[in-house]
Amino acid sequence: MQSLTVPGKLDSLKPIADFVITASAQVGLDKKAAYKLRLAVDEIATNIILYGYEEAGCEGDIIISAVVDDQQLEIVLEDDAILYDPQQTQAIETAELQRPLAERQMGGLGVYLAIQGVDQFRYERAGNRNRNIFNVKRARASRDCI
Amino acid sequence: MSFSATTQINGKTAIISIAGELDAASAPAFRQEIEQAAAANPEHLVLEMSELEYMASAGLRVLIFAKQKMGVNVDVYVVAAQEMVLETLEKTGFDQSVIIADRYDTAVTA
Repeated sequence: MQSLTVPGKLDSLKPIADFVITASAQVGLDKKAAYKLRLAVDEIATNIILYGYEEAGCEGDIIISAVVDDQQLEIVLEDDAILYDPQQTQAIETAELQRPLAERQMGGLGVYLAIQGVDQFRYERAGNRNRNIFNVKRARASRDCI
Repeated sequence: MSFSATTQINGKTAIISIAGELDAASAPAFRQEIEQAAAANPEHLVLEMSELEYMASAGLRVLIFAKQKMGVNVDVYVVAAQEMVLETLEKTGFDQSVIIADRYDTAVTA
């Protein structure tokens, strides 16, 4: 397992992205899957930083780790910010996605893109810590051909 | 590659070229360019994206801001967006509210 600890600040989005890009390359994810995973992790990390830490007036770290097996790449974001379950945020509805931009709400898009971007997304609260877990299957291309 | 944005005003058209990576850390710089362009009261807003390698939802929120700030009558063109940026725009339905084009001149005369 590889891991990296960064401060819960917007400046950390870049090292978090680099970590995901490197892990994706190591397991041979294709360009699209790698982009979508980076996007998913970036969106949730942004929410942790902006809402979990900054808006709550707290400071803390984010630990990002990667676990690889034959089947998948798993990326975990762990933080000790306030309880924040992305799956409990108001789910964006299809009707909202069809609305003209002039009438759009600002919220919800990031969590939508995060959940859509990976094969499985889950959230766990362990003690005082939030764990956001992203799974992407490997060898997607060959599976699609069956 | 870090984010950069440059604005050019040609009469009633504001052209903003954005490049690099647009995430929550760089979105305020993009928003600032939009505000600057809005001050010129353009009729067309052209976002040239050929060098934009990545866009998160923070970038989408700036597009919402642009549309709401400039008014519904301002046409927003997204020009030469890369494949994955385009996919994000389509998945979130933003392609219904902006004009997607490979080139700005052909988009206007088409």
